[in-house]
Amino acid sequence: MMWPEYITVAALISIGLYGVMAKKNLMKIFIALSLMETGVNLLLITIGYIPGGTAPIENGNFAKYVDPLPQALVLTAIVIGLSVTALALTLLIWYHSKTGTLEYRRGMRW
Amino acid sequence: MVTPVLMIAIPLLAAFLMPLIKKAHRYFTFSILLLNAILSVLLFAKVYNDGAIYETIAGFSPPVGIYLAVDNLSALLALIINLFATINFVTSKKDFKFSMLYLLGVTGATGIVLTGDIFNMFVFFEITAVASYALVASKKDEKAVEGSIKYMILGSVGSSFMLIGIAIIYSQLKSLNLYDIAARISSMDPKMMWLSFSFLLTGIGVEAELFPLNGWVPDAYEGASSNIASFLSFGPSKASIYAIARLLIIFSMSRTYELALYVGIATLLIGEVAAFMQKNEKRMLAYSSIGQMGLILIAFSLIKDTSYAIPAAFFIIVSHASAKSSLFLISGKKGFGGITSKYVGLAGVLSLIGMPPMAGFWGKWYLLMGIADEKMWAVAAVIIFSAVIEAIYFARYLHKNLGEGESEDLGYSIPAAVMVSVSIVMGILPLIYNMAGGVLNA
Repeated sequence: MMWPEYITVAALISIGLYGVMAKKNLMKIFIALSLMETGVNLLLITIGYIPGGTAPIENGNFAKYVDPLPQALVLTAIVIGLSVTALALTLLIWYHSKTGTLEYRRGMRW
Repeated sequence: MVTPVLMIAIPLLAAFLMPLIKKAHRYFTFSILLLNAILSVLLFAKVYNDGAIYETIAGFSPPVGIYLAVDNLSALLALIINLFATINFVTSKKDFKFSMLYLLGVTGATGIVLTGDIFNMFVFFEITAVASYALVASKKDEKAVEGSIKYMILGSVGSSFMLIGIAIIYSQLKSLNLYDIAARISSMDPKMMWLSFSFLLTGIGVEAELFPLNGWVPDAYEGASSNIASFLSFGPSKASIYAIARLLIIFSMSRTYELALYVGIATLLIGEVAAFMQKNEKRMLAYSSIGQMGLILIAFSLIKDTSYAIPAAFFIIVSHASAKSSLFLISGKKGFGGITSKYVGLAGVLSLIGMPPMAGFWGKWYLLMGIADEKMWAVAAVIIFSAVIEAIYFARYLHKNLGEGESEDLGYSIPAAVMVSVSIVMGILPLIYNMAGGVLNA
């Protein structure tokens, strides 16, 4: 078992969730979302990791290599995270120009 | 020669060609959507005649490669999404960026229902979600941006949760293929199975508007322009509730069905009661959507117990997709000013509350039949109670709108009338079918 990695994953995801739920400033919320995404990506990488394994590149003389699939998944997830962050920052600029603030005011309204 | 992969590839390619076709972008988008709708009709005909299609992508055979899996229900859902997307697009008056996002949203929603790979499903979820955030915000006023931001925050948390669920499944089974997972799910540690099921249900539940993950729904629907509110109610939400149904079939355990049933009941009750208490019309329609999603989830949670479950879910999906989308489409104007919007309003409301010659009636009828078979009287009572609440607030809605109103915008009300007619046709067809069957039997 790789406890330090899993503890880091849990910490990153919990910090992210805490930030999303507790902060009012939209910039901080988006930073928290990015933290959460990083935590999930780290989780995927950790699942595919084999202690002592090399990079999964076909060169004829590897004995032990890490699982390549989670790395491909993480690559996709990073791209998705990037596009969501870019869109979020655009929306943040619009929000700021409409309201003059970065605080989210209405909260949960029923 | 119809293959499901075309229905994903064509709109995706067209979306990225859009900057080259700035001038005629609306005709171009419309023809692509129409082509997709025709393809989905052909696909459904093929699946109906020859049975389910499993299409391998890029030549890697199933457990390793990605593949598309199409059965009757997913072909029908793809048909509903693409047909309504075509009709709805007629109302678009925006620039080419809007058309591009719209095509991406349709691609994602179609991909969710056709894919047979769980990570692929996640990617399509993200495509449709990111396109929807931008579409909601495309009205560019304060409410639209606020709704979009709220949708984006919840949606991103949901997608992270979905990815965690996928990671847990992968760590246990070393597979991402839905059918492979379904075959070997019983070899998973039960604790891990529950963990991944809860993460996936939470993640998809945000898009599928399930309680308590639906805080974004009223704000996004209220803020978005009326054709986008309409798109949200037949596109992403229907695709994701179908994804939940697939999930339930994969994790085929009686306790997961039970959990889905309780979530469905909670969603139904909260949605209907909140709609009943709303003064704002668009928010009322949004909450009523939540209630209907609960009803669909209840139907899907009975899949294992009764053969009525799938027709029930199908008819509620058709009724809600056509009726609610058309009601959203005419919600831009105050009141039903002309004869077309009066027709849309009346037919839509009748279908949603489940009056006989409409698709909504068959949905509730099959659902109650299934529940009666299982003798779950408490669930039946909840559904009938919620139907009564629904009837009361929709009566209020009609009373307020059927009188005088602003003169109608035919550009919106005619597409809405076409959409709502689907509900009527799908309501009358089973009647004819049943009568013909009766004649043949006699």
